[in-house]
Amino acid sequence: MSKRPGGELATRPLHFIWITDCSGSMKTDGKIQALNVAIHEAIPHMQKVGAENPNAQVLVRAIKFSNGAQWHISQPTPVEDFKWEDLQADGVTDMGKALSMVAEQLKIPPMTDRALPPVLVLISDGQPTDSFESGLKELMDQPWGKKAVRIAIAIGSDADYDVLQQFIGHVEIKPLQANNPESLVNYIKWVSTAVLKSASSPASQSAASAPTTNVPVPAVPTLTPADDDGLVSADDVW
Amino acid sequence: MIPEPLWQVIGQSVRGASHVRADLPNQDAISWRPSSRGGPPLVLVLSDGHGSAKSFRSDRGSRFAVTAAADLLQELVSGLPDPQNLSVVKRFAGERLPDELVRRWRSAVDGDLAEHPFTEPELAKLTQQRGEPSRKGVAKNPRLAYGATVLGVLVTQDFLLFLQLGDGDILVVADDGLVTRPLARDARLMANETTSLCMSEAWREVRLRFQANYGGLPALIMAATDGYANSFVNDDAFRKVGSDILAIMREDGVQLVEENLLNWLDEASATGSGDDISLGILYRVDAIQAQPGSGASSEDSGGLPDAEFPTSPVSPGVAHAVPEGTHGSDAQLASEGGRRDAAEDSEMGSRFIARFKHEGPSEPSKRVRLADAIGGDREEADDAASADASPDVAPRD
Repeated sequence: MSKRPGGELATRPLHFIWITDCSGSMKTDGKIQALNVAIHEAIPHMQKVGAENPNAQVLVRAIKFSNGAQWHISQPTPVEDFKWEDLQADGVTDMGKALSMVAEQLKIPPMTDRALPPVLVLISDGQPTDSFESGLKELMDQPWGKKAVRIAIAIGSDADYDVLQQFIGHVEIKPLQANNPESLVNYIKWVSTAVLKSASSPASQSAASAPTTNVPVPAVPTLTPADDDGLVSADDVW
Repeated sequence: MIPEPLWQVIGQSVRGASHVRADLPNQDAISWRPSSRGGPPLVLVLSDGHGSAKSFRSDRGSRFAVTAAADLLQELVSGLPDPQNLSVVKRFAGERLPDELVRRWRSAVDGDLAEHPFTEPELAKLTQQRGEPSRKGVAKNPRLAYGATVLGVLVTQDFLLFLQLGDGDILVVADDGLVTRPLARDARLMANETTSLCMSEAWREVRLRFQANYGGLPALIMAATDGYANSFVNDDAFRKVGSDILAIMREDGVQLVEENLLNWLDEASATGSGDDISLGILYRVDAIQAQPGSGASSEDSGGLPDAEFPTSPVSPGVAHAVPEGTHGSDAQLASEGGRRDAAEDSEMGSRFIARFKHEGPSEPSKRVRLADAIGGDREEADDAASADASPDVAPRD
């Protein structure tokens, strides 16, 4: 039947944004290389999740922060076309600027209100050197900033856990502590697959039943006991 | 000889593409009254059961919702001693419909729970999907399992009434194809989150719009669960459905639309949102028989702000009729934004409910009591509305 009523049909967009720390400290102990490797390894898994849900269009972007912030992947890129160019580390930790720039992109427009909740993944090994609070406020002032699934990964013991917890904004969800390359890979893969899959589900829910997030955050992958209880193990390099 | 009905209704509901993949049922429901599909009076109601793991019985919840809403809207008409007294009708709708809708839905849910308690497999699946806290959450508020929205349209000789709780869309299409929304979109409803019948103060989230038939009738009214609008690239593309259906009905006949509705909705879900989709269409028979060609497209009206049909959330007991002098084709309910205290709310609600239970809402001969209730509490409602005119934002627990 050619006379289908209405305009163009389209799947619902799901914006996935990496927010990555490229400060000078990320150069030490191979952190930035480990992050690059982890994201490279996650790409096929992420693409598989995207392909399994034909009703969600996963669009990936990345922003890096050091001296200021800059879009690393500026255009919302369909996950099937997503490629990763390695990041380089140098400079300070202007995390607030990065959040401010993300907030700008989460405004309606350019976002639409029919989108699925965005996934924001903040990865950092240090303390913000600019006004983190003002950047976070700008983000949370946007409806899509508030509704986003916000995940944080702390690389090493020098990361500012409290800042990352503020970014997440829910006491039930904790920053993930990556103390070695293996755990970083594990967490990056988890957020690229389990979290993405959950966010791409169109299941509606009552506002009454959403005390934490409007997308169920899946169980965090099991780690070694040392990672789990926060103690330092022989495998920990960060 | 039975006169030809002025309005008719058609509709369809399809299981979403993502529900097929996940082996979930169609959690939408749609119903109309009378079953002959002709009126006025004519009632169309739809409901969208939540798809989240906690709402694992929302397919039943949506069915209870359409039954409760359809019964209520039908009784509103059949019970009115003077349906042309629009002030009274508006007052009643604003003061009583939200409370009674929620009460009846809860009653149906509670009855179902008593007859069919949660099974261990249901709860085990929830625990597996969402963890122990979710299981505890449902144990604390079992109605969450049945969570659903509701959309309703009532067409009578004298007025139109639009009702909405939660997401979904109602579009009104004029004779010239102009598409507008009688109820503005609720900006809070995004990211799969919606107000719901299962909320603790759900009646506060019921939105109503009353429109007297003084200044001309729409050619067509359509109501759809949110899976439909979410399947289009933007709102203009969705609104175009309204003017397109009117044009197709005029050019190719209603039967063609009815025959293709299932395929259209299936295609929209598969290519778009993946969600269940339900669509109901009320159309004026003489408008469909009109000559095509002069209609404006929805693009022409795409920039029309929703403010053209301003609406306000209506809290029970605080809505009041628009002053007589403002009557016109666009008379509507308005909210004082006030709030009775809980005790007063409870007292008034109990009295009304007790009367309703006593009289029995399902017997036609007794439905007049529903209208009788209009006058009974009027003074109290007025007092309550004037006593506290502070802005009231519905809590979202």
